[in-house]
Amino acid sequence: MGARRYVARKSLQAVVTLLFVLTFNFFLFRVLPGDPVGLLARSQRLTEQDVASLQAELGLDRPVASQYVGYVGQIMTGNLGVSLRTGREVTSTIWSRIGPTVLLVGLGTLLATVIGIWIGIKGGWRRGSAFDTSTLYGSLALYSIPEGWLGMLLLLVLSGMLGLFPAGGFETGGETGVARLVDVLDHLFLPLLTLTLGYVGQYAIIMRSSMIDVTHEDFVTSARAKGVPEHQVRRNHVVPNAFLPTFTLIFLNFGFVLGGAIVVEAVFSWPGLGLLTYDAINQLDYPMIQGVFLLSSAAVIVFNLVADITYGYLDPRVREA
Amino acid sequence: MRFATRKRHRNGTTRSDRATRAARGPVAIVVATTVLAALASPLARAQSPAPEDLVLRVGVVSDLITDNPWGVAAGSDWIVATIQYDMMLRFAPEDLSPAPSLATGCEPNADSTEWTCTLRDGLTWSDGSPLTSGDIAFTYGFIVDNKISPYKSYFPYNPTFETPDDQTLIWKSEEPTFAPDMPPWVYIVPEKVWAQYDGQPLREIKAVTNTPSIGSGPFTLTEWNQGQGWTMERNPNYWGETPEVDRLEFRVYSNQEAMVQALRNGEIDFADGLKPQLIQSVEGLDNVTVQRVVSDWWLNLAFNFGGQSKQSDALPALHDIEVRRAIAMAIDKQAIADKVYLGTATPGDTIIRPASAYWHLDIPAEEELGFDPAAANALLDDAGYADTDGDGVREDPSTGEPLELLMPASQDTTGAVEAGELVVGFLDQVGIEVNLRPVSDAKMNDYWGAGNFDAYIWYWSGDPDPDYQLFVFTSDQCGNWSDGCWQDPTFDSLYEQQRTEFDRAARQELVFEAQRRAYEQVPSVVLAYPGWLQAWRSDRFTGWVPAPGENGYLMPGYNYDSLVALRAVDDSVAASSGGSSGIPGWIWLVAGVGIAAFIVVMARRGRRRELDEA
Repeated sequence: MGARRYVARKSLQAVVTLLFVLTFNFFLFRVLPGDPVGLLARSQRLTEQDVASLQAELGLDRPVASQYVGYVGQIMTGNLGVSLRTGREVTSTIWSRIGPTVLLVGLGTLLATVIGIWIGIKGGWRRGSAFDTSTLYGSLALYSIPEGWLGMLLLLVLSGMLGLFPAGGFETGGETGVARLVDVLDHLFLPLLTLTLGYVGQYAIIMRSSMIDVTHEDFVTSARAKGVPEHQVRRNHVVPNAFLPTFTLIFLNFGFVLGGAIVVEAVFSWPGLGLLTYDAINQLDYPMIQGVFLLSSAAVIVFNLVADITYGYLDPRVREA
Repeated sequence: MRFATRKRHRNGTTRSDRATRAARGPVAIVVATTVLAALASPLARAQSPAPEDLVLRVGVVSDLITDNPWGVAAGSDWIVATIQYDMMLRFAPEDLSPAPSLATGCEPNADSTEWTCTLRDGLTWSDGSPLTSGDIAFTYGFIVDNKISPYKSYFPYNPTFETPDDQTLIWKSEEPTFAPDMPPWVYIVPEKVWAQYDGQPLREIKAVTNTPSIGSGPFTLTEWNQGQGWTMERNPNYWGETPEVDRLEFRVYSNQEAMVQALRNGEIDFADGLKPQLIQSVEGLDNVTVQRVVSDWWLNLAFNFGGQSKQSDALPALHDIEVRRAIAMAIDKQAIADKVYLGTATPGDTIIRPASAYWHLDIPAEEELGFDPAAANALLDDAGYADTDGDGVREDPSTGEPLELLMPASQDTTGAVEAGELVVGFLDQVGIEVNLRPVSDAKMNDYWGAGNFDAYIWYWSGDPDPDYQLFVFTSDQCGNWSDGCWQDPTFDSLYEQQRTEFDRAARQELVFEAQRRAYEQVPSVVLAYPGWLQAWRSDRFTGWVPAPGENGYLMPGYNYDSLVALRAVDDSVAASSGGSSGIPGWIWLVAGVGIAAFIVVMARRGRRRELDEA
C-alpha cells in the first residue's frame, strides 16, 4: 500500500486508542473507594451539609455518565478542569512540573539510550571479549537492581557520607543565570545518574543480541569477502540492521518520559509528574489524575505513531504488509 | 584480521605517534585550565559578595495544598497561615490560653451577650495600610455569611459585629457566650483583598491564589513553587518586635531520610515532623537538638453502637459496658507507645489531648482501667461470655455468635495499623477475635458514614479549647461527627453545662467530669498520645519559644513567637545560609571523566586510522 495510506491508517488507530484510554481512565478512578470531598470532611470539619453542597458545586453528585459527557466536552476545548483539592487549574499545575520531568526523565532516557546502544554495539561486535562479558553482566545487574534502592544507596554514599551533592530537591533557590544552571545540575546529578544506570542495561542488552544476530547474516559474510574493512562492515551493514528492534524501544521509552519516574522522584524529592500523579491518586483528585494520565497516554500514543511511521520509512518491508 | 606492519612517514614517525602528539596540545590546555580554575575557585568564593541575609531553611514532609486561608486543609497550610496572619487574640505560649494580639483584650457585658474588644494602636498590614476593627468585623462576617468551615464553628448564636471606631469591635450574640474569649481560631485577613469574593460560591473563594500575600504577621508568603517549597519574607510593617531572621525558606522532602541527611549536611536548619524511626539517627549528633513536642492528637479505638444508617450492624455485645471495659483492660497501651511510636508517644487515657494542659484530665493510676488481661478475662467470664465450643473465641450468650470484631484501621494515620496489629494479639488473649482491615482514609469515611464496622482505629485532633472534642461525643452527633453513635444523657448534660459555664475554674471541673464519664463508659479506648518530632541545628540558631509549654512546638504550631525571637548563634550563620557555595565538586568529576574520554578517543582514532591505511 502507499505511504500515505499507511500514515493515515496509523494515525486513525492512534486517535481511536487515545479515546479508548480517555474513557477507560475516567471510569477506572471512579471505581476507587471513597469520595474526594468526604476525604476533606475530618480535616476541614465539614458537616454533612457542607459535604453535600461542595459535591454539588464540583458536579460530583451528577450521575457518572453525565460527568463523563461533561468531561469529554471539556477536553475538546482543551480545558483539563480544576483540581478538586487545590482549586487550581490542572493544566497550570501539570505545566509547572513538566520542566523538571523532561529534564530528569528525558535526559536520563537520552543518556541511557546513547550509552546503552554504544555499549551494545561494542559488546555485540566483539562478543566474548573482556568488554563484552563485563558490560553484559553489568547491564543485567543494573537492570535488575530496583531503582529506588540504587537511588538511596547513591544518596547515602555520595550525598550523606561524602557530602558531594545535596540531599534532594530541584534547586536551592534564589539563583539566576549560570549560577542557577549550576545549582540545578548539582541537584540533577544523582537522580539522573540513578535513572541512567537503571535504564542503560535495557538498551545494551537488546542492541547486543541484535548485533550478534545480524553478524551471522549472509550479507555480512559477503561484505567481508568483498574486502570491506571491518569498521565499515560494522557501521554500514550490521548496525543499521541491528538497530531496528532497539528503534521501537527507544520511541516507546521516550513516550513514557511524561509519565515521570515516581520512585526516583520520591527518593530525591524531585518535583516531577510521577509524584504529582501519586499524590493525586491518594487524594482522589479526579481531574488531576485524569489530566496527568491523559497527558502521558497521549505522549506514548504519539511517540508510538511516530515510531510506526518512521519504521515504515526505514524498513520498506513493513509497508508492504 | 589485523595488519601488524606500521607505515612510517619519511621523518620516522608513525601516524599514531603523530596523532598522540597532536592530541597532547589540546589536552595540555584543558588540564591547565582545569587546574587553574580549581585553584581560582576558593578565591572566587571569597570575593563574590556573600549576602548577609539571615535565612532559616526548614525541611517539611508535605507541600502546601493551598495558599488560601479559607482552604486550609493540611499541616503545611496551617504553618503558613499561622505565620502570616494574626488572630484577634492569640494562643499564649505557656498554655494556649487567650493572650493579647491585635486586640489587647475583650470585655463582656453583664450577661455575656456583648463583648467589646479593644485593638492596639498603630496596626498595619504588610503593604503599609492600616489594620482596623473593620478588617476583623469583615473577616468574622465573611466566615459567618459564607459558612466557611472549619472557622464557622467558632461563631455560635448568629453573632453580629459592629465597629464604632477603628480601634473597637463589638461582638453581639443572641445567647450568652464566651466565644470571643476562647479565642476563636480565626486568621484576620484584609478586607480590601477579600471583600470582592463575598457571596461567591465556596469553591471559588477557596480557589483564589494568595501569593504574594498581604498579612499582618512577621513574615508573608512571597513565593510558592508547587512540589518544591515556598518562601516567606520578613514583613517590614510588622506591628510587633522586628525579627532577626530575614527570610524563611521551606523545602519539601518527599522522603524523611533525605531530610535528615539535609539537616546533617547543613542544607537545612530545621526538620519538621520526623518519624520516630529516625530519632536515633539525629539524637546522637552534637550539633542537632530534638524537640519531642507534646501531643495534640490521640489514637482512637472507637466502638460502634449502630444507628447511623440502614447498613449499620454493630455487634450487640459492644452495648455491654463490661465487654468494652474488658477490651480496654486487655490492651497494653505502654507497649503501643514503646513499639509503635518508639517511645515518642505516651499511653492514652482521656479524650482531651495533653497539649490542652489546663483542660486535660490525667486519670489517677488507681482509677485506671489498666493493663490486666487476667482481670479482663474474669470480667468477661462473669458477664457470661463463655467459650462454648472451645475454639478460643468467646460467644455472646444472647445471640450464640462468636465475639468477632471487624476493625478497619486508617493507613493514613501514623501508627494506626501497627497499633491495630498489636490489638489483635491483645484481644486474642481474652478470647475476642479481631479482623483487622488497614484501609485508606477514603474508605474509613465510608465505614464511618455507613456504620458497618464493629470498632475502628482512627484519630481525633481537637482544639486548644475542649468544646469541640467533647461535642463530637454527644448523642445528636450520631450520623454526623460521632464515631459510633454513642448515646449517653449524662455526658450530654455535662457537655451542655460546660458550654455555658463562664467561670473558668468551674468549667474546668465540668470538663474533668465529662472526661471521667467518657473514660468510665468507654465509647472509645484512647490508645496513645503520639508526639511530634522537630529537630534543629543548635549550632546555628537559638532562642526558640516552645508552645504550649516547654515541650511545645518550636515552629508553628499555634503561634509564631519563635520566629520573632529566633537569633543566629553567631555572625557566620548569615554568611553561610544564603548565596552560592562555589563550584560544586561534581564538576571536577565530570571534567575529569570528559578529559580522560577525550584522551582515549584521540589515541584510538590515531591507532585505527593507521591500521586501516596499512
